[in-house]
Amino acid sequence: MEANTGYVIAGYVITAATLGGYTWRLFARGRAARRRAEAIAARRRPA
Amino acid sequence: MAAERALGRATSRKGERVLGVLAAAALVGSTVLGLIVAPPDAVQGEVQRLMYIHVPAAWLAYLSFAVVFIGSIAYLRTRRTRWDRLAGASAEIGVMFTALAIVLGALWGKPVWGTWWTWDPRLTTTAVLLLIYIGYLAIRRISDNPSRRAQWCAVVGIVGFVDVPIVHLSVVWWRSLHQGPTVLRLGGPEIEGTMLLALIAGVVAFTLVYAYLMTLRLRVGRLEERAAREALSPIVGPAVEAEV
Repeated sequence: MEANTGYVIAGYVITAATLGGYTWRLFARGRAARRRAEAIAARRRPA
Repeated sequence: MAAERALGRATSRKGERVLGVLAAAALVGSTVLGLIVAPPDAVQGEVQRLMYIHVPAAWLAYLSFAVVFIGSIAYLRTRRTRWDRLAGASAEIGVMFTALAIVLGALWGKPVWGTWWTWDPRLTTTAVLLLIYIGYLAIRRISDNPSRRAQWCAVVGIVGFVDVPIVHLSVVWWRSLHQGPTVLRLGGPEIEGTMLLALIAGVVAFTLVYAYLMTLRLRVGRLEERAAREALSPIVGPAVEAEV
């Protein structure tokens, strides 16, 4: 294996982690916002 | 109106899923092309394979900020919130691609130039580009008047875009350590066929990832606005609620 192959592996791993991490974060933000909206709407509903 | 309808179709849940599958498949395909099919560079060896992700990341940063530019102009012309939302979503994704391009460039620079970072015109103008759009995202958080915030952001989104052609042409205008254009140049691409194919596959894959992330980010933006409306409505009353 060539000495510089580690840089290539690191580059691909960082790219996968960045794209995957951002996608996961967007899903988490969406879920949190939906839960927040639903919780507020439920509190305002008459018992 | 046609652009808005097309945007609506692309951001439907079904469209989002189709884009997600396409983007994942394209990423796998471009990785195989870049790491296995394309030959190692005659001079740089294996480390040149970073080109297949570094260049697409940089191109997607340009595309993202071009969308911010178009969305900003459209907002100032129409005052429709959806254009501001589009620009904000694209700026966030553009910042991610710019940071990724800088990190990948540093990884490539260390073995080839002998340094992670140098104040070269291309690197410096790219760092300025990152700072401009981090500032843009900061502005999106500071004002609590949505229409004034959208107006400020639109102005920054238009003025900030001036740096994109400067970044691209910096290697032509100034003496630079960074290599000059090899694909979009007079006289045609100066790159071996399989390498060019792997590079194009990378750009296509990253473009699909951008489209997928945009649909997700726009949906999240709508959900967050809905949550904010729900939170505000009992405090400020229905008149202001409608305005928000």
